[in-house]
Amino acid sequence: MTNLDHGKFTRMTTTFHTLLALDVFILFFSGYGLMFNDELWWLVTLMGGSTGVTAVHRIAGLGLVVLIVFWMLMMITTSTGRGNFRQILIGPDDVAAAIQDFKFVLGMADERHPNARQFAGYKSDEVPLLSYIGKGVVYIFSIELTLLTISGLLIWSKTGVMQYFATKTAAMAFVVFHGLLGVIMLMGVMFHIFEHGFHPAFYPVEVKAFIPRKLIPEEHADTDHDSTGISQLSLAPSWGWATNVMGVLTVIGIVSVLVGSIFDEGYPVPRELAVGGGPTDLLLTVGINVGILVLFIGMALQMYGNLMRVRWQRQLEEEARAPAATDGGRPNDD
Amino acid sequence: MSRSLPETRDYSVLAIAVNAVIAIAVTAVVVWWASGFAYNAEALFRVGPTVEGGGIGADWRAGNTIPALDFLIAFVHAADVLMGIFILVMVFVHWGAFRRLASRMRQPGEPARYDSDADAVADGGRPSDGANVAGGANASADNTARDPGGDDR
Repeated sequence: MTNLDHGKFTRMTTTFHTLLALDVFILFFSGYGLMFNDELWWLVTLMGGSTGVTAVHRIAGLGLVVLIVFWMLMMITTSTGRGNFRQILIGPDDVAAAIQDFKFVLGMADERHPNARQFAGYKSDEVPLLSYIGKGVVYIFSIELTLLTISGLLIWSKTGVMQYFATKTAAMAFVVFHGLLGVIMLMGVMFHIFEHGFHPAFYPVEVKAFIPRKLIPEEHADTDHDSTGISQLSLAPSWGWATNVMGVLTVIGIVSVLVGSIFDEGYPVPRELAVGGGPTDLLLTVGINVGILVLFIGMALQMYGNLMRVRWQRQLEEEARAPAATDGGRPNDD
Repeated sequence: MSRSLPETRDYSVLAIAVNAVIAIAVTAVVVWWASGFAYNAEALFRVGPTVEGGGIGADWRAGNTIPALDFLIAFVHAADVLMGIFILVMVFVHWGAFRRLASRMRQPGEPARYDSDADAVADGGRPSDGANVAGGANASADNTARDPGGDDR
């Protein structure tokens, strides 16, 4: 048994996930470079100052609009898309799964609920397309991305905002609204990175989202065991400390951007008058930078997932080529 | 519910290509609209908070005066806090769940429990050495008491 286990997504979905992740990371780096410009001055400098960073943000925003429109069309116009859409509807099982997860942590349940399962020795048909967390991620990110795109386009289109509110204040309020809204997604992405990078069976990254289903065998030779099979997987030596460090960083990152968003009253001008001089609290500065570090780790893991796919594909190709290449070798004779 | 996955085949290349072209076209129109249907939009306001003494909002002294927008901002502040706490709880729940799952796995250096598990041998496990006693004990305990207080490890 490998920790690759079973694929769930198509090649289109895995490619889309990668493009969306890269685009959203760039939007976070540029957007929060602006919103938390007191704390993340180096990000702004790195992206070419205020002109560069707003340009990067707009270009990545365009990419996001393309991706969103494309995804919506795929969900509507293809039968696979419509089928998948039905799979993410939330049911009573998902609520039960959330409750059972609490019980599992407290030792009051022996297993995670089927709707909470990631792979980890489970057979393909024992694991849902998306866990209850996966469904939540899809819902929250979809709503967020829609609102962020609409508000972002309104900010871009100053005449559009003026048409409705006719003041510069309105434009500013939209910027604040847009920035504060993104904080929810920022926190969610940090959790997403932790959840899919630090499951003990998948550490350092769960490749479900990177290796398409058709490249992963549905059956394993050793699926006759009674248990879930997780006891056969070996824990990576670095898992313990790596997960604790990442957990601490994730919590610090989430708390800091949360506090920062309240403290800053949004970007760049607070509701009450304190123009420009945001809090230069050392602790907050460190914390928000930790949050950005978590995002960088997420981006690295995301690239690592794609590297895994490339290596996996190469291995499959070599295995397929092997019988023809060797004269008299019998690759399956064990 | 997950018995029969709907995703039995991949998306067709045609659907991907057509939808990608439409998406790019729609985006082009949206951006053109956002630019006020102008060829050069740089004459419009630009948000430039770090520009010295310039940028939109630098002369803003009155605060938000539009009740609807003020409410929206207050609303998102509240949403930030509530969602933040919820996400933190989820982080801790998963952190804990992962620790429980990890305690069920073969620990680093622990020998394989099944001789037929060829994959496990390859990563440095030594299934045939003297330490098999402990491995055997774990294997027999696996199906009965699967989580022998390993949470606190």
